[in-house]
Amino acid sequence: MAAVQPQLEKESGDDSLLPLVHDIIKCMDKDSQDVHQELAKLKTKIQEAREQISNMPGIDSSPVEQQQQLGMLRDQVRNKNQLLHKYKGLCMFDVPKAS
Amino acid sequence: RETMSTAAEKSTKERLLSVLDDLEVLSRELIEMLALSRSQKLPQAGEDTQILELLVQRDREFQELMDVAQQQGKVHQEMQLLEKEVEKRDSDIQQLQKQLKEAEHILATAVYQAKEKLKSIDKARKGSISSEEIIKYAHRISASNAVCAPLNWVPGDPRRPYPTDLEMRSGMLGHMANLPTNGVNGHLPGDALAAGRLPEVLTPHYPFQSMDVSVGMLPPHHGNDFGLEPPGHNKENEDDVEAMSTDSSSSSSDSD
Repeated sequence: MAAVQPQLEKESGDDSLLPLVHDIIKCMDKDSQDVHQELAKLKTKIQEAREQISNMPGIDSSPVEQQQQLGMLRDQVRNKNQLLHKYKGLCMFDVPKAS
Repeated sequence: RETMSTAAEKSTKERLLSVLDDLEVLSRELIEMLALSRSQKLPQAGEDTQILELLVQRDREFQELMDVAQQQGKVHQEMQLLEKEVEKRDSDIQQLQKQLKEAEHILATAVYQAKEKLKSIDKARKGSISSEEIIKYAHRISASNAVCAPLNWVPGDPRRPYPTDLEMRSGMLGHMANLPTNGVNGHLPGDALAAGRLPEVLTPHYPFQSMDVSVGMLPPHHGNDFGLEPPGHNKENEDDVEAMSTDSSSSSSDSD
């Protein structure tokens, strides 16, 4: 997970496909032969983006649903902690004091 | 509004892939349109501008969704940590539950045993007999003709070893067997058991009940051997009992 995180953050800035489309249009304007290469770049970029999306964790639900699940989990942990605290600190017997 | 609600219901992955598909289609359309217009030298009808606007819009949407996905990844990490925490707490709770069950079992056993003990204490209190009385009775039995009949015993002589027939009948065994005065002859053991009576073979049968047997059982010098006192000395014996019990109590206190 720690290794994935920097990669995701690095790519978050260059998600746009517009620069590649712009390059293609420029090549077309110039009637350059590089247009095919640029087109291949765009295809590769789209394919890579698909793979990246498939491998991204935690996006199988909408943000709203995910927040609900997160809230439920937090509630669970809090309730279980409270339960354990209650039972561990509970004095089961009133031990008579030695007088 | 409908698109907003469906967008909210859809997962981020689905939305991302959908926007990416749109981007692919739009960029292809734009490039094809530009290529076509350039090759045919046709004036652009403004359609490509619309497509370009849509492309820019979808691209912005894609970037926003990618940011959302990054945030969801972080939240996912937090959720995984919380899930681990929940698992740990679950195992702690199960452990605690197991210990509580064990404690409950031990306590239930202890309470049951204590109740049984209280019952027996209560029973003993209800039927309490003073120890002094028991000792007196024991002395009375041992000091009189309790073990065997006197040497000069003849039929009809009331002095005889304990227990006498009357005492047997008044005792617990006698009540249990519900012995009639004329015996249980003629009853089969099964019948007697069914009727709550003891069969003849189980009824107390002492040598002194039959004259011949009691005479035959008595040793020839038995009176001298055991030094039994003649009747009429019972009062003195009781006095002895008192003296003995006092002695024993004093000796026991001395030993302490």
